[in-house]
Amino acid sequence: MSDGTLGTKSGSASWLLADSPNNAFQARCQRLYIGWLSFKSNPIAMLGLAIVLFLCLVALFAPIVAGGDGTTQNLANRLAPPSAEHWFGTDELGRDIFARIVWGSRVTLYIIFLVSIIVMPIGLLIGTTAGLLGGAVDSTLMRITDIFLAFPRLILALAFVAVLGPGLENAVLAIALTTWSPYARLARAETLTLRNSEYIMAAQILGASRIRILIAHIMPMCLSSTVVRLTLDMAGIILTAAGLGFLGLGAQPPLAEWGAMIASGRDFLLDQWWVPTIPGIAILVVSLGFNLLGDGLRDVLDPRSSGAK
Amino acid sequence: MTMNKMKMTGFETSSPGEAPLISVRDLHVRFATPKGQVHAVRGVGFDLGKERLGIVGESGSGKSQTGRALLRLTAGNGSIEASRMMFDGKDLMQASAKTMRSIRGSRISMIMQDPKYSLNPVLTVGKQIAESCRRHENVSRAEAKRRALAMLETVRIREPEKVYSLYPHQVSGGMGQRIMIAMMLITNPQVMIADEPTSALDVTVQMQVLSLLDDMVRERGMGLVLISHDLNLVSSFCDRVLVMYGGRIMESLDAKNLDQAQHPYTRGLLNCLPRLDGNHDDLPVLRRDPAWLTEGDDVPEGGAA
Amino acid sequence: MIEIEDFSITFGSGKNQIRAVRNFNLSVAEGESYGLVGESGSGKSTVLRAMVGINSHWDGTIRVAGEALTHKRSVESRKHMQMVFQDPYGSLHPRRTLDDTLSEPLVIHGLDNREERILKILKEVGLGPEFRFRYPHQLSGGQRQRVAIARALILEPRVILLDEPTSALDVSVQAEILNLLSALRKAHGLTYIMVSHDLAVVGHLCSRIAVMNRGEIVEEITEDQMRTGEVTHAYTKQLWTASQGYDRAALETFQEFA
Repeated sequence: MSDGTLGTKSGSASWLLADSPNNAFQARCQRLYIGWLSFKSNPIAMLGLAIVLFLCLVALFAPIVAGGDGTTQNLANRLAPPSAEHWFGTDELGRDIFARIVWGSRVTLYIIFLVSIIVMPIGLLIGTTAGLLGGAVDSTLMRITDIFLAFPRLILALAFVAVLGPGLENAVLAIALTTWSPYARLARAETLTLRNSEYIMAAQILGASRIRILIAHIMPMCLSSTVVRLTLDMAGIILTAAGLGFLGLGAQPPLAEWGAMIASGRDFLLDQWWVPTIPGIAILVVSLGFNLLGDGLRDVLDPRSSGAK
Repeated sequence: MTMNKMKMTGFETSSPGEAPLISVRDLHVRFATPKGQVHAVRGVGFDLGKERLGIVGESGSGKSQTGRALLRLTAGNGSIEASRMMFDGKDLMQASAKTMRSIRGSRISMIMQDPKYSLNPVLTVGKQIAESCRRHENVSRAEAKRRALAMLETVRIREPEKVYSLYPHQVSGGMGQRIMIAMMLITNPQVMIADEPTSALDVTVQMQVLSLLDDMVRERGMGLVLISHDLNLVSSFCDRVLVMYGGRIMESLDAKNLDQAQHPYTRGLLNCLPRLDGNHDDLPVLRRDPAWLTEGDDVPEGGAA
Repeated sequence: MIEIEDFSITFGSGKNQIRAVRNFNLSVAEGESYGLVGESGSGKSTVLRAMVGINSHWDGTIRVAGEALTHKRSVESRKHMQMVFQDPYGSLHPRRTLDDTLSEPLVIHGLDNREERILKILKEVGLGPEFRFRYPHQLSGGQRQRVAIARALILEPRVILLDEPTSALDVSVQAEILNLLSALRKAHGLTYIMVSHDLAVVGHLCSRIAVMNRGEIVEEITEDQMRTGEVTHAYTKQLWTASQGYDRAALETFQEFA
């Protein structure tokens, strides 16, 4: 904490750094604030956070930022190079690439959000349950996990989409179904080391049920590594989604999706380079942003680096 | 001021007249942490002869950091400062990294608390001892193995041939610590720094391990620094004891005179030990006096502490 | 208060079967403080873990206040016997405030007046109300151990099992915790069973002590015997000698007890 001595701060900062919090809410806030202070001191992580926040803002204000819906065709002005009017040029149907990138950010966020809320609970629940209960439950759950782990991700996602039919929601579902297995492994491994710890034993002696131990004691400990892993995986998820889009199995036209934009623009790579390159850069920057954010979060959240002094 | 009269400086060894093996004056160890500077060792000075010197203190007293500083093994964010840190005529403060490497292990050895983390898990213990021998002396493989076996016997391992081919996870804690000692002794060091070498062991095993170190001091004229939190153990084993608190030496005295310690900190530590005397009364609680951290400072450090 | 008869613990099966504890009999009166001493692997902690029901691989009978304990414990029966662990850094959940840790047993057992009980117990173990919303990493080792004691006490049990409660602490802190433990025993009429490798610590807190070696009690000694060292079994004698400090001459007589 390079920003001066703690005692001299006033107002919210002193509330957040007080030695003896007065209630549970203040204690939780303090914990977050101290994590934030250590996160803030890492410029690379802050860059990642800035990129991710920027993506969210762009998606939120897409109608204002884009100045159009990104699907308006203008065949007279197709494949125009970047100019003051069309910052990133236009595509083969004369649509403004900038507007499509902006609208595409919504699709990307939508994918990320849906995948996260499916993958995290499934992975956590299966992993911690297997780890805590052990025995036959563990073997069964882990063999199922192994089956999912055994297939290459994109191939399995392709198979799912082929069965479910192309479309954005199905692509998300396919990605989620192929992504959860490493999370279950991770959560199980952590549970195995946690379940013999003395605080879990103490909870058992107090009479805590297995469900209580699972939810109140083990899951919070596994949560941070899962979040970190998910942020680091985001790049991969975005790329898989783009890959599915590229193969025409993800978002369907005319919806602007970055992967699909690269796919349709790849014929023009040599003469009108901007058509496929700009969405490629967008994917690169966003993936990078999540990766940097994940790295920073790992430093703050990793149970091995926090907790014991 | 009777206290000052009684208090020894820590500068005389148990064998006066002989040149000390290690001589330290005004040693400071500081660590830069995100929360500011931590001054772990504050002006420690002592001489070590061919004797058993105990450094006792509670956690955070700087005793381990003092031991590490002698080998310049302080962690990356720490800095060492001393007006004098001599080993066998060499100035350890000025020594190059290469010189330090040649001193570490072969002339000054160190034993840590837990042998599990100090031994390489994928090599047999015998190989590790032989390796350590070959690294410091130019001997053939066969000779190194012969010496390693002899050393295992010295540390009273019953079937050295069998133990030679065991992996670290196959040996018990006590045997692991004996193996560590064998590995450290095979290079015939002049000084051994033992940082809580026995606190992870059972009492009887603890005594057996200490007796090995005892032999080395008596028979080979080695200097031993035993760092421990256990006053009883140190007073019964060592020749001389330095009591540390807050990075300073509170008191230095002959181990056999520990009962007559003058410093209130030492007295407090002794009093709060439970004894085998059937007394169930409340133990006296140690009261700490902030003045202990500044006493003897002729010139105040300008609040830099 | 506590009677243990024909008690044994076996791990594994077939060839790999290990009898960790055998022929174990014990009787502790209400309000007594009983010590179990032994070296690592003697089975002393294993006994405690079986008593509180973490380990269910035991045979024999354990009776607490006349009631025989079953292998599977009801939530209600947990109330009477609690345990304090050795490592104050490992026995508190790092992501929960003291308030969370102390209110959990109250929630499990459906007790009300939670705030009042928590403040009362914190006061009893010598921690002020300002500690209530701190996380374990904001506490020293001794303070953590006080919290662990508070957690064990908050259900108002009659028996507390102490598994090396001070061996991870500095001697000055150890003295404070030992004083706290004896004060609490007097105030609540608690029955203690304390496990330790340190004869002096056990001798300070307990009036009777069982010495364990390789899963068996080799001898039960009184505090008088402890004081004078007049013990009969050779293993006890050796343990006693070793805890008197380093003694080169006595060391030569040491033997292995298998």
